Amino acid sequence: MTTTIQEQENQLVAIMEGRLDTAAAQQAQKDLEPLKACNGRDIVLDCAGLDYIASSGLRIFLNLLQVAKSQGSQVIIQGANDYLRQVFNMTGFSHLFVIK
Amino acid sequence: MMKPVKILSVDDEADLELLLTQYFRRKIRKGEYEFSFAHNGLEALEMLLKNKDYDIILSDINMPEMDGLTLLTKINEMQNPALKCIMVSAYGDMGNIRQAMNNGAFDFATKPIDLDDLSVTIEKAIAQIDYIKRMEAEHQQLEGIKDDLAVASQIQQSILPRIFPPFPDVADKLDIAACMYAAKDVGGDFYDFFRIDNDHIGFVMADVSGKGIPAAIFMAVSRTIIRTTAIQGMAPSECLTRSNSLISKESYQSMFVTVFYGIYDICTGEITYVNAGHNPPCILKKNGTVEELPQSTNLMVGILDGFEYPEATCKLEPGDTLFTFTDGVTEAMSVDFQMYSDERLHQNLAGMAADSCQQIVDAIKADIATHTEGAEQSDDITMLVLKRL
Repeated sequence: MTTTIQEQENQLVAIMEGRLDTAAAQQAQKDLEPLKACNGRDIVLDCAGLDYIASSGLRIFLNLLQVAKSQGSQVIIQGANDYLRQVFNMTGFSHLFVIK
Repeated sequence: MMKPVKILSVDDEADLELLLTQYFRRKIRKGEYEFSFAHNGLEALEMLLKNKDYDIILSDINMPEMDGLTLLTKINEMQNPALKCIMVSAYGDMGNIRQAMNNGAFDFATKPIDLDDLSVTIEKAIAQIDYIKRMEAEHQQLEGIKDDLAVASQIQQSILPRIFPPFPDVADKLDIAACMYAAKDVGGDFYDFFRIDNDHIGFVMADVSGKGIPAAIFMAVSRTIIRTTAIQGMAPSECLTRSNSLISKESYQSMFVTVFYGIYDICTGEITYVNAGHNPPCILKKNGTVEELPQSTNLMVGILDGFEYPEATCKLEPGDTLFTFTDGVTEAMSVDFQMYSDERLHQNLAGMAADSCQQIVDAIKADIATHTEGAEQSDDITMLVLKRL
């Protein structure tokens, strides 16, 4: 899978593509590391190109959320496909993240 | 202090002994090299068998009693890769030298011996021996870790209830079977069941994020917290709200666990449950229809202290079966990356309404094995099946 980070005016956008399974999780965590310096800017996780997420992937999102919240930033999950939406609903992610 | 490198020189001419001790006297004095001497192959072999800690053999080829090539063959039979032979022969004796090299000699020197050159050869051998010994030590360490993992795997399996039927006094009312197959030596899935009182059985199906040792440790903590909380007899909602609060405090690096916790009423077949982010179990009705329980919208356990987990209920009529599992079942991957899928699971279950819980577990496991044949198991596979008789 690939992760690309774009710095926009008021927000940081991470475009994630492929399968975020256990094998890909470690690399994804490294790739998302720069987002932790969000300094109050919102973080958008663009999941339109993400086909699958394993529990280790969910953990990375949660970890990011913790850091972002402590800096007063929101984490927005955007463009998730039906499968991901189902996972986000089932795991209660919709209580924690802004899902668009 | 470093142990000296032990060198055994084998030569029928005594003048070599003098030459070596003279040339290497500084190294000998400093305790870097230690020389021993034998005068033919047989004597050398006896010394080698007595003292197993020689590092380098420096052997002539032409000797009485036992020649150098025979000695080399005998040394090969000892199968010690950290023992190196340097062969010495007359200048131009290429036939014997080639044979020695082909028989596994480390290197060779020709007579008259150029001691500066021999010194380089010995140092080269020492570097190789060090490397091999380091590899052997690392290999041993790895073997140790592997042994530990095997023990950890047994410990993990032994904290899952494995005696069936678990509640013999109600075996005519309730059938239970369960299994957990870890993808690695140890896993992050678990199931559990326990008697709360005469009429109530608590049961848990859970999946910890991640795999391997970190997941296994978190699994052990979660399982213990949930069990000790549940066994006090509180309702599932209160039990998971409390367990979540405790586990959230233990959670390291956002680890979490999805949990389905239910209390089964042996007399009425009613199940009160909380689903905390776990994939929904199915009910296999007596007539062969398969119904999925509603999707959870609750948070997984271990993330947010203070989350309140609402309860729901369902009911088993006599002959109905509750099938709980982890996503290792439905997401088991075939070699061409096809998931086992909810559809295939439901289809299979539909034909098993008359089967016992153990038969169902075995048949689903076998069908997953057929589906994933040739592929590496990607996730823990766990099932817990409960049938009202």
